[in-house]
Amino acid sequence: MLHVNNLTAAIGDKEILKGLDLEVGAGEVHAIMGPNGSGKSTLAHALAGRDGYDITGTITLDDADLLDMEPEARAAAGVFLGFQYPVEIPGVNNMYFLRTALNSVRRARGEDEVGARDFLSVAKEAMNLVEMKEDFLYRAVNAGFSGGEKKRNEILQMAIMQPRLAVLDETDSGLDIDALRIIAGGVNALRNPDRSMIVITHYQRLLDYIKPDFVHVLVDGRIVQSGDYTLALELEDHGYANYVNHDLDDPSTRSLSGVPS
Amino acid sequence: MTAATTALDPTVSGGAVALDWIEANGYPTRRDGAWRYAPHKELGALSFGPPVAQIAAMPDIDARVPALDGPRIVVVNGVVDVELSTMVAPAGVHLSSLAVARSEQPELVASHFGHDGDGIRDAYMALNLAFGGDGAVVRIDDDVTLEVPIHIVDVEIPDDSRNASCTGVIIAMGARSSATIVETRIGTGADFGGSNIRTTVTLGEDSSLEHVLLQDVPSSHVHLSDVDVHQAARSRFLARSFNLGASFGRVAYHVDLNGPEAHTDLSGLFFGFGTQVLDQQIDVVHAAENCTSRQSFRGVLDDESTGIFNGGIDVRKGADGTDAEQSNKNLILSDRAEINTQPRLEILADEVACKHGATVGQLDDAAMYYMRSRGIPANEARRLLINGFADQVVDDVGIESVRDWITHRLGHDDV
Repeated sequence: MLHVNNLTAAIGDKEILKGLDLEVGAGEVHAIMGPNGSGKSTLAHALAGRDGYDITGTITLDDADLLDMEPEARAAAGVFLGFQYPVEIPGVNNMYFLRTALNSVRRARGEDEVGARDFLSVAKEAMNLVEMKEDFLYRAVNAGFSGGEKKRNEILQMAIMQPRLAVLDETDSGLDIDALRIIAGGVNALRNPDRSMIVITHYQRLLDYIKPDFVHVLVDGRIVQSGDYTLALELEDHGYANYVNHDLDDPSTRSLSGVPS
Repeated sequence: MTAATTALDPTVSGGAVALDWIEANGYPTRRDGAWRYAPHKELGALSFGPPVAQIAAMPDIDARVPALDGPRIVVVNGVVDVELSTMVAPAGVHLSSLAVARSEQPELVASHFGHDGDGIRDAYMALNLAFGGDGAVVRIDDDVTLEVPIHIVDVEIPDDSRNASCTGVIIAMGARSSATIVETRIGTGADFGGSNIRTTVTLGEDSSLEHVLLQDVPSSHVHLSDVDVHQAARSRFLARSFNLGASFGRVAYHVDLNGPEAHTDLSGLFFGFGTQVLDQQIDVVHAAENCTSRQSFRGVLDDESTGIFNGGIDVRKGADGTDAEQSNKNLILSDRAEINTQPRLEILADEVACKHGATVGQLDDAAMYYMRSRGIPANEARRLLINGFADQVVDDVGIESVRDWITHRLGHDDV
């Protein structure tokens, strides 16, 4: 379903992804783990289409070339990115935003738009999933939301957009255990045989709640090891030290501080 | 300028004083801070004079202004059109034309016109005093709470003589009274023309007024608006201005807080396209103790438009306990657009809390990307962000149908 081949991404002279390969089949959940600065978020944004990277390699989703598409076209093709830092948009009503998003994607696919009333029932169902109160719909997008509320709003959006490929970028960061449970519950409810997920995380903790089919270790812009769920447990015990110390040829290229993570 | 040589409307007493003032002081120039960015050549080409007969067809007013329940006074080219007006008002509310009020309520009208040379701020105010013989008068008795808004509609239909009308609006709020008044300014045609409207508001003790100003004249027009406010103790004045039309649209507020614990809250939006120049000139004078004032204005400037925010807070000696805030936020959509923002603070009292701030920004790239990643096309995302910025002023307006009119005028109908 998703094929990433020899992907590189750079900002100016700084190479962040250095030839990354990833295959994700339909219905699979892949966890990407790695130390800070290893390129996890860059991979997420390369999939979603953020400007500002020089990219080589290929990314195809259901045989469509994602690298050729603007972010909105990727969304219409079924890509969804749950942001590590959801953006506040003062003055834009959450419900209006969500309905515009859904209808934009439906329009791009040649489907009928959803009217205000039908949308409300779609939204309410999605809100139950992440235990959000209805007043969230009438507030400005993420404006004044707590960290946990912002992350729940991301999963709410995912539930409404029903993506083919969901990329969740450090959705667990900054969450307490109750919020983590709610969000993981929402994500698990959205797992299905047609939907693939890439769960990016620094810690193994999230994977206790969202059991991945595969775990990949991303270090210095490359996937250095892949395995099943037990790999996450090993990382929990040993950290990333092994990879950082042994798998790299040139230590000077490892200093990636200042790069968006 | 042909105005000074035009025959004086004999019915406006004091007109001679005003014209003498112009004779002595001349017209504003770029050197006057309050007129620095005004198109003086265009203003000079206009003929501000007595009302001219309307020659073109009347526009469909109902299609151009917010639909409001309640009385309406329609002024066309500086003269009240009785047929188009609905002057029947609830008990305790007195509506009339300024021309009629001059003979029937002379003491009320005197405060509007009663300027010796000292009270005149500039030549355009003088022209309005000299030639603005008609307009709308709203007087509300003590203790009356008006549930429906009063609508004052000004329509400009210039002929080919480059005429600009002068109109007067008088609003007098009795003690403990409360009302909402909407002033909508529209016009027709591609002919060069203009309007010069002066509104004077007096608020009695404990009274409350929401005053909405919708400036939507055609882009071939120049619009000058002057709102002069005098507030007694504990009165509340809420101004919401939407400076949208005209080639040069100027909205000026001069608020005198004369009684203790009075509160004034001025907010506004200016939204410029093409080569529009949209000018807000604000002066709030704290002349009594423990008054509060708020100024919050937002500008959106596209193409080659220019915005001006010149906001003054003047805390007079003895106005202790003043609490004044001012903010001006601007969104610049084009590298050829321009904003000139200037706070002016003069503080001569003790125990004063005064805050001011201005920001100029562009559309947030992170927000654009976020919306696009949700499937919203770039142009739609841009529109949503702009409207989101502007709507924070629109939300201050109390009447839903006015909010709807504004959002529709700005090109979107929200959910």
